[in-house]
Amino acid sequence: MYKYVAKRLLYMIPVLLGVAFLVFTILSLTPGDPGSIILGITAKPEDIAALNAEFGYDKPFFIRFFNYIGDVVLHFDLGNSYQSRQPVIHDIMARFPNTFLLTLISMSAASVIGISLGILSAVRQYTALDQTLVVVALIFASIPGFWLGLMLMLLFSMKLGILPSYGAGSLKALILPSITVCMTSAAGLLRLTRSAMLETVRQEYIRTARAKGASQKRIIWKHALRNALLPVVTTLGTSFGASLGGAIIAETVFAMPGMGTLITTAIRQKDIPVVMGATLFLAVLFSLIILIVDVLYAFIDPRIKAKYQNGGKRRE
Amino acid sequence: MKKKTVMLLAAVLAAALVGCGGSGGQSQGQSGGGSGTGEDAGADSAGKDSITIATDVDVDTLHPSDFSTTVEHTILSQIYDPLMFMNPDGAHDPEPRIAEDYEISEDGMDYTFKLRDDVTFHDGMALTSADVKFSLELYMASEYQGAQVIGLESVETPDDTTVICHLDAPYSPFLLGVCQVSIASKAYYEKSEDDFVNQPVGSGPYKYVGREKGSKVTLEAYDGYYRGEAAIKNVTFEVIPDQSTTAVALKTGEIDFATIESSTIAQLSGDDAIQVEEVGNSGFTYVSMNTEKAPFDDVKVRQAINYAVNRENVVAVCYDDEAEVNSNICSKDRFGYSEDQPQYTYDPEQAKKLLKEAGITTPYDLGTILVAEKYSNIATVIQNDLKAVGLDVTIDVKEFNAYIDDLTSGNYDITALEMTLDGDSQQLEMAFTTDYIGTANNARYSDEEMDSLFSQARTEADTDARAEIFDQILTKAQDEAIYAVLCNPLTLYAHNSGLDCQEFPYEGIYSIYNFSWK
Repeated sequence: MYKYVAKRLLYMIPVLLGVAFLVFTILSLTPGDPGSIILGITAKPEDIAALNAEFGYDKPFFIRFFNYIGDVVLHFDLGNSYQSRQPVIHDIMARFPNTFLLTLISMSAASVIGISLGILSAVRQYTALDQTLVVVALIFASIPGFWLGLMLMLLFSMKLGILPSYGAGSLKALILPSITVCMTSAAGLLRLTRSAMLETVRQEYIRTARAKGASQKRIIWKHALRNALLPVVTTLGTSFGASLGGAIIAETVFAMPGMGTLITTAIRQKDIPVVMGATLFLAVLFSLIILIVDVLYAFIDPRIKAKYQNGGKRRE
Repeated sequence: MKKKTVMLLAAVLAAALVGCGGSGGQSQGQSGGGSGTGEDAGADSAGKDSITIATDVDVDTLHPSDFSTTVEHTILSQIYDPLMFMNPDGAHDPEPRIAEDYEISEDGMDYTFKLRDDVTFHDGMALTSADVKFSLELYMASEYQGAQVIGLESVETPDDTTVICHLDAPYSPFLLGVCQVSIASKAYYEKSEDDFVNQPVGSGPYKYVGREKGSKVTLEAYDGYYRGEAAIKNVTFEVIPDQSTTAVALKTGEIDFATIESSTIAQLSGDDAIQVEEVGNSGFTYVSMNTEKAPFDDVKVRQAINYAVNRENVVAVCYDDEAEVNSNICSKDRFGYSEDQPQYTYDPEQAKKLLKEAGITTPYDLGTILVAEKYSNIATVIQNDLKAVGLDVTIDVKEFNAYIDDLTSGNYDITALEMTLDGDSQQLEMAFTTDYIGTANNARYSDEEMDSLFSQARTEADTDARAEIFDQILTKAQDEAIYAVLCNPLTLYAHNSGLDCQEFPYEGIYSIYNFSWK
């Protein structure tokens, strides 16, 4: 098991290098240079050139790339933002807690609501309850986030006046963005759990369990659910990782400084150190989360656990 | 069994509701709005001494000279005071601030400022001529704001309250430029360069309290301010990127003041608690034609396009009527403008006639109108107007930075955009003179007479003679139809009607010192 985790951690190195190279290349290929974007169209060419030189942007692509990687690997330094000329890590640390809280709250709520209602829907297949849940899930999966956000804001902030319409920092301000993000994910999870459960209960071992006289409760919770959860946990892991990249729509509508708006703004301003720093930071997190999900499999499914303990080799 | 699943469902819902309610209850009183907002929404503002202002973007820096955005400029100008305050409309005399008086030498080479002796920085240190010299030199070395002190060669400080600026050549717009310089503390800079940027200390009406990256900047009235302490004690700038959210927050009273877009007015109308103000601006919307390319090298074609566009329609469709129709690059309140300079009005027949004279047989393919995405609606209106006189254009929309690349390198036929050449009217040289081809002279217009007129305006110290030169420049620009200027979009503010904002200066860097609650 430890060996497996160690190996996976080592695999992260080439992945991160690949991500770094790819993002750096794409950013360098986009039009415009940081100097003229910051100083604008009326600036003198010599000022623009001087600013670009200050950023080291006048150097060739490969030199810039290797300098950057060198700073990151040798000094753990993500560099300074072109816009603010302050360390990138400050920008990330100012926004990541907001995004992390939003993700944690909305994804936990989404998994509780999505998975439990999904199970319920599957157990009660073809009943009025099931059909209602499926339709409601479809509606929430299709509603655009910005619209849902605005409607929530109009209701809770303007009509009822009980929640702030924007901001960050307080739990109260997090409620509306969390609901916005949660509803879409919950709807997706409900649909996924439902279909996974339906597939599992048709398996022969369920019939065997039933023939043995196991109670419905035991069949659902012990036999069916653990198997059905595998695809759900996978989706949950990847979407948790992805939402750490920021919920751009919720962040914009509710004026919440998060990772999503940080990265999009930086891309538009060609603030390469910020985009690189944030992307690498998220890539590390994402890789770790995927690793945790893979380890979780072992606890859900004994077959996989056996495989890991064998150092990944198949038993002959 | 059935009962159990229903119970489970109920439990889940209950948990979700309790979760929301619980966390809401715990943090009551510290709403996202921050300083005491929420309860006192609307015009009921008795006893209020704080203000929350929405900005659409965050500040990247609060460096007194190395900043680039309007929001940064706005916040900095509450913290830092200038030597003198000058409303850039050309009609006002400079008002004393840190300097109580100024004098310009006969030859226009030396500007002497006499400083007040009672000005202190927020850290209590007295402001002296050494700080002014330091700040001016900071601007001279700045790639960001160096343009404000063009022509400044050296600064002399014979005593603590006298500053003499020596110019390398007479430069009439110098006074307006130097009045934009934020005066910062030399001692504070020498103590810590990091704090100088991150914990700015100025001598303005408000001192810096704190900042949350991406979300807010807080200021507090400085009790030692030499003009008397400000009426509004606490100021919070909150970043709200979305205009719909800004409108909601204005209505709920979470924010008191915001710069808004014309499309947001509809959301705010009918609410007596909110007042919308329109302030003139020298920024202009225009069609630029690449005069290096045929047929735009022909003055008749450019004039025809000027007659072909329906400016009233552009203002109605693209600006919800919140712009002033003007075919002159110089806005009406700006130095050098005169009603006698030629104006272009909508006249498709005249346009057709001019095209005929230019030897163009319609329908004629004029090529591509290149625009950045945010100006694509303007391009659509122009496309229709041109079609009506027999000129066909196709619209090509590009990402903003890619667009600017093409625009400045002359890789386009015709385009529409907004531009700000604020400050002294001398700045208009960026649109017309040979030196600025490749930056803001998008028409790529080059003419010796025009270049020479702008150099004369640069050194002419006499106001009337200078106005005469600008009259020649602007008349020439209109006669030759170098651009097809459409309108001057207004700056729009929405604020709680309990707030008294006095007069807004032209160009819209407002001073919160002038605000008070009724």
